[in-house]
Amino acid sequence: MSEAIPMDDKVRVFTTHSAEETIEAGRELAKFLDPPKVVLLRGDLGAGKTTLVKGIAAALGAAEPDEVTSPTFTLIHEYAGRSVEHAKLGETILLYHLDLYRIENQRQLDTLGMEELMTPQSVLLIEWGEKFPSVVERSDGEIVIETLHGDERRIALALHPPKTSG
Amino acid sequence: MHPTLPSSSGPASASGPVPASGLILGIESSCDETAAAVVRRGAEVLSNVVASQVRTHAPYGGVVPELASREHLQNIVPVVRTALEQAGCSLEDLDAIAVTEGPGLAGALLVGVMYAKGLAFALNKPLIAVNHLEGHIHAVLLEAKKQQQTLAQPTLALVVSGGHTHLYLAEETQATWRYKNIGRTVDDAAGEAFDKVAKLLGLGYPGGPWIDWLAQHGDPRAVPFGPITVKQKPYRAPQQQSPRFLFSFSGLKTAALRYVQTHAMAQTIAARHQTLAEIADAKPADALALCNTETLNLIASFQRAVVEDLARKTFAAAETFHSASIVVSGGVAANRELRQHLLAEGRRRSLPVIFPSLELSTDNAAMIAAAAWPKFVAGDVATAALTAEPSLSLG
Repeated sequence: MSEAIPMDDKVRVFTTHSAEETIEAGRELAKFLDPPKVVLLRGDLGAGKTTLVKGIAAALGAAEPDEVTSPTFTLIHEYAGRSVEHAKLGETILLYHLDLYRIENQRQLDTLGMEELMTPQSVLLIEWGEKFPSVVERSDGEIVIETLHGDERRIALALHPPKTSG
Repeated sequence: MHPTLPSSSGPASASGPVPASGLILGIESSCDETAAAVVRRGAEVLSNVVASQVRTHAPYGGVVPELASREHLQNIVPVVRTALEQAGCSLEDLDAIAVTEGPGLAGALLVGVMYAKGLAFALNKPLIAVNHLEGHIHAVLLEAKKQQQTLAQPTLALVVSGGHTHLYLAEETQATWRYKNIGRTVDDAAGEAFDKVAKLLGLGYPGGPWIDWLAQHGDPRAVPFGPITVKQKPYRAPQQQSPRFLFSFSGLKTAALRYVQTHAMAQTIAARHQTLAEIADAKPADALALCNTETLNLIASFQRAVVEDLARKTFAAAETFHSASIVVSGGVAANRELRQHLLAEGRRRSLPVIFPSLELSTDNAAMIAAAAWPKFVAGDVATAALTAEPSLSLG
């Protein structure tokens, strides 16, 4: 795994060459996901979205990598962990891994109860969130996984500047 | 009123409430289906209703997933009413209300749990909480009872669906079932792999029936997928290294994707997807003429790899834990090749392998009512504090 020079202070890019390295990249990315956060998780089939979440969950002490499974059918997976940031060390973080692939319209989305998951302690990682403008609007940024060739992946985290109140 | 203990068909217990009718209403709303059923003494299914069968005006062909809790809310009253009607009984005839408490989707589960709680409170009848995964195991026990088979114990349960791939060792001691989780997937469930590969190839959803039907027209050895190995992770403490049977279907899915990419199949896939989309209520048979030999071989080889992997680890687990029988449940239990393969291998090893009927293998409420019976007999009832447990595990 190699971390490229950030394009600016809000974008971080990793290049990985195996599932193990993608998990490592997830561990690194977790440092930038202080709650509350809503982040879109984008990437094609087989790109390694669940694999990346394994690393993020592991970094937060929320789950062992092999306990993190795909939420495609089950829609929402919740993992409770602790912050590894110095400022908030030990504080509870609720990591939610969502997949909206099977959600067909805004009405179904409305009754999924996503709003209730968005607490001050929550980090939401949402696959297929880009299907819904309402989710994109609520998001604080995105993680994009691109398949380069073979097992090589480019993983980029981009967080929007904090919204100014008022 | 002190009727006698349950008949020989049900387990007897000295403790617990004394059953009057033996009727339990089961309610299931953990994911896509709103379902209700009435089952007598955990053995006799009087009704087994799922909302997708009740509804007459589906917006498009096939099952419409009821992902949203609002759908469950709309369905639960008519579904329960239909289940009671078909069973020919009233609410007053019931001995208890059973409901799925988890795992599943919080909002969806809550609809069932709150409704069951309200019903139990209003009727002053016991409320019984059931784990959805335990329900799947009891679906097969129900089938075994229907066929008047006695199930040799301990039994190994393979629960395999779109959302789950688990192995449990299950045993009944003193009318109480105990479960030990000895295997699971580390990434995708087997049913999800079927769905995603079907989508990758431009076929319909859910993918299982499409792959299953088309696979019989391909060469299962044409593409050398598998065997799938999952490394035991070094970070696990030695005591946790005790036999765990881990599944992984993510790599196979990616291998299928790579095959499609390296064999330049994108154009034919897009054409197939387009043609199928234009057929109203398209069936797997409609896709046969749209698949060339290469595609059919890929489909057959993919299914062969999934089935071989499920079979290999299931029988290895059965051997390790000296299980005397195997039960298979969940949506993927409907896969014909899986059935044939497991049944043949079971015969070879003189190990009985039991599958549920189709309506009992997918999500249903009869399995919830059946799983609730031994709990009812043992007096294992839920309190008013019962709530949805989205991350509930078993064993």
